[in-house]
Amino acid sequence: MSTHRPAPARIVLNRRTLFGAAGVGLSALAVPGLSACGGGTAAPTEQVAVSTEVLPRHIPITIAEPDIPGVNGSVPGYTSLPTELVRSVTTPPGDGRTIRAMTPLWGTIPPADGNQYYEAVNEMIGNTIEFQITDGNVYADKLATVLASPRDVPDWVQIPQWNFPSRFGSEIVGNVFADLTPYLAGDAVSKYPNLANIPTDAWRSCVFNGKLYGIPYPDTPIRDALYYRDDLLAERGIDPQVGSAEELLALAKEINDPGANRWAAEDLWSAIAIAFGVPPKWKVVDGRLVHRVETEEYRAALDFNRQMFEAGVVHPDAVAAQESEAKARFQSGRSLLLADGVGGWHEALRDNLANNPDYSQKAFAPFAGQGGQPILWRGPGASMFSFVKQTDDTSMIEQILASADVLAAPFGTEEFSVINNGVEGVHYTPGPNGVPQPTELAAVELQPTYIFLADPPVVEAKVQYPGFVEEYCSWMADAAQYLQEPPLYGVQITEPPQYASLAQPFEDLEADIPRGRKSLDDLDAAVENWRSSGGEELRAFYQGLLDQQ
Amino acid sequence: MSAQIGDQTAPAAVTETARRTGVGPGAPQRHDDLPPTRRRRRRANGRPVWEEDPHPVGLGLKGVVLALVVLVVAFPLYTVVVTSFSTQAETLRAGGLVVIPGELTLEAYRQILSGGVVTRAAVVSVGITVVGTALSMLVSVLAAYGLSRPGSLLHTPLLFVFLITMFFSAGLIPSYLLVSGLGLIDSYWALILPTAVSAFNILILRNFFMGIDNAILDAARIDGAGEWRILLRIVMPLSGAVLAVVALFYGVGYFNAFFNAVLYINDNAKWPLQLVLRSYVLQGASLPGGADPGQAASGAVAGMPIKMAVVVLATVPILLVYPFVQRHFTKGVIFGAIKG
Amino acid sequence: MSAPTTTPGQGNPTPEAPAATPGPPAARRRTLATRWRRDRALVLMTLPAIALLAVFAYLPMLGNIAAFQYYSPYSGFFNSPFVGLDNFARVFTNPAFLNAVLNTLMITAFQLVFFFPVPIALALLLNSVISPRVRVFIQSVVYLPHFFSWVLVVTIFQQILGGAGLISQTLRENGYSGFDLMTNPDTFLLLITLQAVWKDAGWGIIIFLAALSTVDPALHEAAASDGAGRWRRMWHITLPALRPVVILLLILRLGDSLTVGFEQLILQRDAVGAEVSEVVDTFVYYQGVVYGDWSFAAAAGLAKGLVSLVLVLGANKLAHVFGEAGVYQR
Repeated sequence: MSTHRPAPARIVLNRRTLFGAAGVGLSALAVPGLSACGGGTAAPTEQVAVSTEVLPRHIPITIAEPDIPGVNGSVPGYTSLPTELVRSVTTPPGDGRTIRAMTPLWGTIPPADGNQYYEAVNEMIGNTIEFQITDGNVYADKLATVLASPRDVPDWVQIPQWNFPSRFGSEIVGNVFADLTPYLAGDAVSKYPNLANIPTDAWRSCVFNGKLYGIPYPDTPIRDALYYRDDLLAERGIDPQVGSAEELLALAKEINDPGANRWAAEDLWSAIAIAFGVPPKWKVVDGRLVHRVETEEYRAALDFNRQMFEAGVVHPDAVAAQESEAKARFQSGRSLLLADGVGGWHEALRDNLANNPDYSQKAFAPFAGQGGQPILWRGPGASMFSFVKQTDDTSMIEQILASADVLAAPFGTEEFSVINNGVEGVHYTPGPNGVPQPTELAAVELQPTYIFLADPPVVEAKVQYPGFVEEYCSWMADAAQYLQEPPLYGVQITEPPQYASLAQPFEDLEADIPRGRKSLDDLDAAVENWRSSGGEELRAFYQGLLDQQ
Repeated sequence: MSAQIGDQTAPAAVTETARRTGVGPGAPQRHDDLPPTRRRRRRANGRPVWEEDPHPVGLGLKGVVLALVVLVVAFPLYTVVVTSFSTQAETLRAGGLVVIPGELTLEAYRQILSGGVVTRAAVVSVGITVVGTALSMLVSVLAAYGLSRPGSLLHTPLLFVFLITMFFSAGLIPSYLLVSGLGLIDSYWALILPTAVSAFNILILRNFFMGIDNAILDAARIDGAGEWRILLRIVMPLSGAVLAVVALFYGVGYFNAFFNAVLYINDNAKWPLQLVLRSYVLQGASLPGGADPGQAASGAVAGMPIKMAVVVLATVPILLVYPFVQRHFTKGVIFGAIKG
Repeated sequence: MSAPTTTPGQGNPTPEAPAATPGPPAARRRTLATRWRRDRALVLMTLPAIALLAVFAYLPMLGNIAAFQYYSPYSGFFNSPFVGLDNFARVFTNPAFLNAVLNTLMITAFQLVFFFPVPIALALLLNSVISPRVRVFIQSVVYLPHFFSWVLVVTIFQQILGGAGLISQTLRENGYSGFDLMTNPDTFLLLITLQAVWKDAGWGIIIFLAALSTVDPALHEAAASDGAGRWRRMWHITLPALRPVVILLLILRLGDSLTVGFEQLILQRDAVGAEVSEVVDTFVYYQGVVYGDWSFAAAAGLAKGLVSLVLVLGANKLAHVFGEAGVYQR
């Protein structure tokens, strides 16, 4: 059991609300000499505009035509696997050196000695990637310490956005990691065709202070969905149609059945916030920045979630904030509605189809909380990055980029297959429709490690789950029509650290208001307090950044 | 370890000293010369002859309370064990921990124990625990005895050196910088030295050492024994119980620690057991950001059975150790050596 | 009745206290040189442990200088600007801080009364069990929950006492309404104490069992033959054996008044709300650690340590007043 961190849900919330102001601390910190640290003053000290000159040119590669093309950034789908794989990088580009790489892992630690998966991938690269793997749940602590001791930083470091230590953009990136602009900007990237194939949105988030530092792990523009157990609802003759929050509540009341140990919903907060169009951070209203917590949308979403809790349709374990078991409850049919990441969809199928061939879940098409046209805020093109340690040895940087180029080989290539499925006959055997059947050794050796260093654009090809690719890709293609870019979309911003911790009252309110312990009046008071204790300065800070664009 | 020597049979000389100098301070002198064999005499029910038969109501009450205590603890333990032997489908049906055993399987254990990573890590953990506990006990027993004589030179300042570490701690980053500066990154010593001294454990040891009748120690001193000799020959043999307990505290501390390994051990082959077991719990977990871990399909998932099997595997070694500790709790090792 | 007069320790609960204080007054007047000659072995014995602490506890403790800085990990301790006591001001003027301190003290006080004595009582109870086999069995079972993570403990409580837990569900199936102990802020104090007792009471008894094992049965036997009953013997023989370690633990617990189950509380924060579950450690965690404000965390840590030290000194003084040796003598 994980012990060190609170439930992951908490971290997600933190990540979604990276803002705030440090009340009393603000004046205390405003001492001379601080502006050099990028903190202490409200004036923007960093260069924010992402000039297109530092971004790599996008040169798309098509190895296999998708059966369901992507729309407006949605994930393209393949309903069958390619029969012929193409070798993308024909000769291993490496010069046989050892590259030390640090990555988190949400999985079992694979053996390093005699690991045939490592051997196979390293052979394609031509270098030996020596992994320093850390338990993903405590990776933030590891990073905080290692980055404070630059000599311990390995050659290649993967860092998720939500693990960025404070002052990462202002002080750490530029001092610890190599500026990749000269190697990748504009046409320079054409030396690494698979990296050039990564969409520009993903690269935007790799730019800090006007320079390109990271290699992105491309992500989907839509990250969250509201799922329902269509199989269990069908048993009761219900084919749910939800066009507004009101209809959601009505449905929840209809399907709620505590006597049978079956509740309507988990805590749907993230899905409700999306339905009400709550912006990730800021929203421009009449040319003025309005913070998420100040918006009517936020208030309405909180109020609606309160109604859900009040109606008694939320599973008691969810009321008790036992988020880590939420999926288990949903999958076992104890609750019927779940807000989860898009990746949770196929994971649920993976975990349940073997035992329960009828298992099914579906995602609601986006709806607007108060009816009408929904708004989905486009997620940044990447939220995990790998960085190269600063070095005078330019060949090291080039070797790492060349290795990344192999790792970023797209779907349909041999490289992609080996990285994701391992070696045929060792880690998998081909099953029906060419779907790889993992062997026992795969569970031991094949863990997602390389993919965190560099990864091709996202595609969906899990044809082993009947109908899933069609369902998933068409759902996202439909949803993608509602996408809107929030202000300062995709820009890496390092807030002055003293603003960070005033997000906390709102995280607590997001738990307190639905559970009836606090009211919307408390929200108003908190917003007032937020404004007077640093929120206005934070607004000015962001306004300054916005004006630069 | 001398802890084991101590409690089997107390050295005759010590017993003799104890008897000569009078049983525990308040003890009536006239019982001092009771034949030692008498305390071994027991009735059929295991109760010493001198002890009155318990009141049936009291006995019943005691039984009920103890049974209740055991039940309250054992029931959840039982569900954890049953869940670890259940199939994934069974846990989904139960919606969490399994209470009534259904389909049973060893799959979770097989999955964890295959591949050899766990066995290797277990060796690492046992090694760290044994070496660490030995080192900790050595320095702690010495320090505790050194601090056991109030009024000795520098006694209070030295005591405060220890006391302060209980309330002031170092942050994550300075600790890391130190270990890194000493070149201990990736060394097993990084998992031992930073936690080798526990002021709390030293205070516990000292507390028991101070309870030993001064008369015995004075008698030994008159016989010309130095402090080292007194510690080794008298104090330690008399302190079997507390030595065993503190060794357990240290041992459990080393065995359960994982966070220092997260920080200080980069080489995954050197991971201790707890860290490896934790990684099994993370299998197939969704990423915090809801990001998709791509197409990678090793097929391994940490369901409830795996999580509970991890709990069982992490706890069993501790369960096995306890009887050894308990052996040192034998009552009345020697006559009145400890002040009542 | 002759029994009372011959029962050991009767009349004066602390007959030994004087023996624990430094020898005759003359000893204190001895010259430094004589004392060094007499005690050097003792001083030397503490040195290995002190050396380890100096390197691995005190040296990194210097990092707490960040409490007086606007610390940035990259600039390091040498280049971060000093800001005097501003970080402390930020800690103490934060309105949430006072609430956290109050909650912490309330939990500590409650647990001192309802948690602290439980292992002692259990140890006494267990000690009176005659059959060694039964004793070992019970001991081995009850100390296991200590090794469960808080995540698991909370999950177990949720599955039994939660709104959809075993008890509630059984009630519901029989036509009664369920209850939910896990999300009720009013009973939260009781809940976390129950959890703490369940998890750690069994572990806590070990140290008391060790203390009880030092009691010579001959004392019991002697007292019994003098007519002292079961309770008298417990009062005059068994309890005095526990006294030193109980007092030591009590003093240390008082010193640690500002520390209460961090992980346990963070896990249940959203269930009952920060208003009742925010304690000093969680406050520092959210304000300082989560957002990487190391200076804030360091300042709070230093302040907390200082308070703890003062509390230990105070508790120790109190012990002296009651004629106990305490942790240290003047």
